[in-house]
Amino acid sequence: MKINTRQVCFILFAYTAASRLLMYPSVLSAACRRDLLFPALVNFVISTLVILSLAILSSRTDKTFYGLLRDSMGKVGARVVFGFFAVYFLLAAFMPIFEHEQYIHAIFYDTTSTRVVFLPFFIFTAYAACKSFTNIGRCADICAPIFAVCMTLIFLMGVGEAKFVTLLPMLKEPPADIIKGVGDTALWFTEPCWLLMFMGHFKYRKGDAAKITLSYAAGALTVLFFLAIFQGIYGGIASSRTFAIARTSLFFSAIESIGRIDLLILFVLEVVLLFSLVLNIQLGVHTAAKCIGTDRLAVVSLVINALFALTVLIFDKYYGAIYELFTGWFWIPSIIFVLAIPLLAWTLKRRKNEKKAG
Amino acid sequence: MATLEKNIKAVKDVLKSEDVLVFEFTSKEGKKFAAIYADGLINKELLGELVIKPLSECKKDAEYEQIKKMIASPEFKDGEKIKDAIKEISAGNVAVFIDGEKSFMIAGLKSPPVRAVAEPPTQVAVHGPREGFIEDIKINMGLIRKRIKSPDFMVKTITVGKKSETAVAIVYIEGTCPKGLPEKIEKQIKNNEIDIVADSSYISNFMTRHPRSLFKQCGIAEKPDVFCAKVCEGRVGIVVDGSPICLTVPYMLVEDFQSVEDYYITSYRATALRILRVLALMVGIFLPALYITAQLFKIQIIPFKLLMNISSSVAGLALTPSVEMFLTLFVLEVLNEASIRMPKYVGLALSVVGALVLGDTAVKAGIISTPAIIIIAFSAICLYTVPSNIETTTMLRWMFLIVAGSLGPFSMVILGAYIICYLVNEQSYGVPLLAPFAPLVKSDLYDSLVKANMFALEKRPGVFNSDDKVRLKKNED
Repeated sequence: MKINTRQVCFILFAYTAASRLLMYPSVLSAACRRDLLFPALVNFVISTLVILSLAILSSRTDKTFYGLLRDSMGKVGARVVFGFFAVYFLLAAFMPIFEHEQYIHAIFYDTTSTRVVFLPFFIFTAYAACKSFTNIGRCADICAPIFAVCMTLIFLMGVGEAKFVTLLPMLKEPPADIIKGVGDTALWFTEPCWLLMFMGHFKYRKGDAAKITLSYAAGALTVLFFLAIFQGIYGGIASSRTFAIARTSLFFSAIESIGRIDLLILFVLEVVLLFSLVLNIQLGVHTAAKCIGTDRLAVVSLVINALFALTVLIFDKYYGAIYELFTGWFWIPSIIFVLAIPLLAWTLKRRKNEKKAG
Repeated sequence: MATLEKNIKAVKDVLKSEDVLVFEFTSKEGKKFAAIYADGLINKELLGELVIKPLSECKKDAEYEQIKKMIASPEFKDGEKIKDAIKEISAGNVAVFIDGEKSFMIAGLKSPPVRAVAEPPTQVAVHGPREGFIEDIKINMGLIRKRIKSPDFMVKTITVGKKSETAVAIVYIEGTCPKGLPEKIEKQIKNNEIDIVADSSYISNFMTRHPRSLFKQCGIAEKPDVFCAKVCEGRVGIVVDGSPICLTVPYMLVEDFQSVEDYYITSYRATALRILRVLALMVGIFLPALYITAQLFKIQIIPFKLLMNISSSVAGLALTPSVEMFLTLFVLEVLNEASIRMPKYVGLALSVVGALVLGDTAVKAGIISTPAIIIIAFSAICLYTVPSNIETTTMLRWMFLIVAGSLGPFSMVILGAYIICYLVNEQSYGVPLLAPFAPLVKSDLYDSLVKANMFALEKRPGVFNSDDKVRLKKNED
């Protein structure tokens, strides 16, 4: 087996939360203001249910998603579906890359930084994206504790300054805004697709479905708590405070005397953020390679990342337009890939486990 | 030509060197013998006592079997082929030829010059045994045998090196080490034909999957107690003749953070020390890079008051922070290298000149600042808390310094992520280098960065997958 259940749980816990620490809170706040927790809750509940269904599906078959597709639709059909998934994963990575680039320039550099400083990211991604699922799993083993420690410290720094009363009264914003919040932030919800890709690559044991779902729920709760703290600190101006993770600890009382130690935590946390960002690209490379029918992941990764680097260099100045574009329509592919296909996976022909899992 | 002369000529035709001596002697009754040996490698007193003296009583018509019984050497064997005689003479034994006999005798009287068993300089312990390995494989094997008396303890000896024919012993405990591992190691070592094996580091190069890797893939032990503990955990040990450093595989990175003394002191103190070592290593690698990245790209990292102090120190400095730090680190590396290579008494003077005069004058002349010297000095001290990994960590410090000085903090993060991504893939004979953290092996965490008490370490490390899993069994009564 390439990956194990614990690593899948770590991915769903740490990467789920890590991928939502930059723009996600301010986008939600812009759409729903004090009710920002509700669209997040809606999206998380839906995703949790899909993840639960996929985890149960994993207990019913020992095949990979590709294997299930091939048995049901033939090799060509499976490749076509994987081709679509490749496009979806790469598109899902597109906006967060821009988001990340802006974050790096704004938070990591006081001086005016050139675009060149972000280019090593693509070198790293090109290297990491061609690695196996084993590598992804082991990186998660390292990242999960780092994430837990860093987030605990950030929470400790931020929670004292948060006035949770700013979240009250709840559910006073128009329902249309909450629906808008759900749609606008759909692009951050790719986790069910991750599990779909990991299916068959880990050995299912009794109780794993609960572990997987609870890990995702733990990640979701971390995000919700973070959102509450962020809104609690900034209240009405939260929507203008982009890169939330860097703003949460700003008012920690000890910073005045000991300096921005939170920045050191952010530097460490950035490692986790990087791996969470790279995961979509990794899965994009893997699915693209399956679609093309090649084992040369390095070449596919190199091409994809070169294209990404080029795109970032060209469209760097049009971040606002890209943001509008992605938040505006990405809910459509999200419904298809995050909701419809994982649920439709139940209809695929599946072989019963020959040996009882456990 | 008589048989004896023919044999002597056959040996001398191959071993032409002048230090291969032929001692011809005749018994009282007129039987002729010749002892051939490499000068300086044998114990001549023993040769006289155990071989020459008994043979001087030999009768002229004595048969080979009778002559054999006269030799008093405990290490003894027969030979018939001249090439075997040559091999044994080169290895430091004595070949005894008898006139009129085709067969010859080999007496194991090897006694090469060796130093005394002493405490190794890099694995010093306040508590615990002080013995260290030396350059002689026999003494080293003796030190190991003294500690492991189990009948399952196995030794496989091979020779490596076309010219040096160095003896290499592969030691393991059957049932404890991973199945097939000793054979795999033997094959891997034998696959490499090299002229000379001057040290065990040559062998460690043969045993790495990626020889160009910055990270080592063999553990090292300079003390027999450490070596034996590792072998008992399920590792395979490699002892190389001529080297005081023995190797152990599979290797995990966490081993380097475990000091020999951790097992002889309380678990609380050991845990605290291990965490301290990790933190010191992090500081040692990242501090110089963080300092210049803070100055160049992200000044907010530095607390305000400290920033004021630094700014007054660097005011008027001609060099940029990166160049200044580079220069300081370069000076440190030069001083380090020179102090190791120089004779001790010159080295002492050099360290005074280097550390005091050079540093002080450089600051006064406005070439480098005081914070830079403090940071580099502290970084150097920190790295030596994990001395077995110093080659890797100093290189990493340079790498982080270069990327931090050129591209700033984000490139440091990228380099860190790259190293993680690389290391999780690396393995030493099937055991991941980052185990027990990636992949997470819960049971092995008790002896990783945390050192649990002895009773928590009931099982051998899970990553080795030994047949015999129990290390400590506590009887209830």
